[in-house]
Amino acid sequence: MKKLLAIVSAALMLVSCGSVPEQKHTRTLFCMDTYMTLTAYGDKADEALRSACDAMEILDEEWSVTNPNSEIYAANHAEGKTVPISEETEHIIKFAKEISQQTDGALDITIFPVLQLWGFTTDNYRVPDDSEIQKLLESVDCSKIIADNGSLKLPSDMMLDLGSVAKGYAAKAAADVLKMNGIKSAILDLGGNIQTIGLKPDGSEWNIGIRDPGADGIVGTVSVEDRSVVTSGGYERFFTQDGVTYHHILDPKTGKPANNGFASVTIIGEDGVNCDALSTSLFIMGPDKAEEYWKQQGGFDYIGITDSGELILTKSIADSFKLDSDHMGVKMTFVE
Amino acid sequence: MIRSQKFWAAVCAVIFAGSLIWCIVLLTMKPGDTVTITQDGKTLYTIDLSKEPDRTIEITYEGRKNIIEIKGGRVHILEADCPDKVCVNTGWLTAGIPIVCLPNKLVIEYADNDTGLDAVAG
Repeated sequence: MKKLLAIVSAALMLVSCGSVPEQKHTRTLFCMDTYMTLTAYGDKADEALRSACDAMEILDEEWSVTNPNSEIYAANHAEGKTVPISEETEHIIKFAKEISQQTDGALDITIFPVLQLWGFTTDNYRVPDDSEIQKLLESVDCSKIIADNGSLKLPSDMMLDLGSVAKGYAAKAAADVLKMNGIKSAILDLGGNIQTIGLKPDGSEWNIGIRDPGADGIVGTVSVEDRSVVTSGGYERFFTQDGVTYHHILDPKTGKPANNGFASVTIIGEDGVNCDALSTSLFIMGPDKAEEYWKQQGGFDYIGITDSGELILTKSIADSFKLDSDHMGVKMTFVE
Repeated sequence: MIRSQKFWAAVCAVIFAGSLIWCIVLLTMKPGDTVTITQDGKTLYTIDLSKEPDRTIEITYEGRKNIIEIKGGRVHILEADCPDKVCVNTGWLTAGIPIVCLPNKLVIEYADNDTGLDAVAG
């Protein structure tokens, strides 16, 4: 009898030690011109992830600049006529116009024709003449877009591209779907555009690396709960001609690759759409204007890496940020 | 009585020593060297970089080509015949940053992640 008790209690101890962790589910997909990895925890996570992927694929179909069935393609080829758009398309265009105004034109979703001129849309890269750029810049002004009551009107000489805000919106939409399905813990990686839900299943914060714009690997790690972490940098898509490197983030004021002092900017905030739009905007602004903008608007944190490799970060994120062991000597400036 | 006590003491010692060795083995093992190469969701190669000799792998997709190079326990895309070269520009594979060739739906990434990183923004 004693033996039996001992065996039973030993078995109980073993079972209690190995508490079952929440089930991890992962889905990957190619969507919005990027590779996405979505991970969620819980019994219903697989089903929820499938719905989240569906939601993003619908947005991709509506917003693609190359798919002739997309709303954006229709607007770009409507020769100035009005086209019908979905609620989310109207929503994101209104948002992009608002950010453009707030950032004094640092972000402009009508820069697309200039992007085409440089060959960034077709991969037939070339450095255009100033006169060519100036001519096209005349038709870059998103305040001229009219998106209202389910319809969109674009002047005939203008073209739209939601590339600078689409992934952020998709991440938010996917996160909303997951939350609606009862998911409490998830991490969505939309090609380096990161959205987290809640905490990790073990109750700790998510550790998000910040990519080193000048080398392989990361410069440091930021720990977050229920936040978006989005980085913009010129290192991903670029070409080199006569020893000069030209990247794909164009400054709407000059029509040329933004060259105002930042190699990358990471935004940490609650709203994925806002983070996506602001990472591009602050990258284009450069360190001084970015700081000024943050002081005026606030509501988010940022980590900027300058062309010379220095870090500029908001004081409020400093405690959550850890430098990578290879970057211990890096100069850090805090903004507050 | 004393003999049986000695016996149990020896058994405990053996178990203790065994678990200690096992702990050391677990702690010093270098996981996270396994890399998967997938195309359009299908796994083409699973490679343990710590054991793989230096070599190149050529992968074609709809007539287009990527050349993957494994060298000194690291992996990168050496050549691609797409014009944008994003996959080549990504450089050597690091944890959390998959190497992706979008036109050819090719992805190289670590199979398991032991770096403590949940994702990399960039």
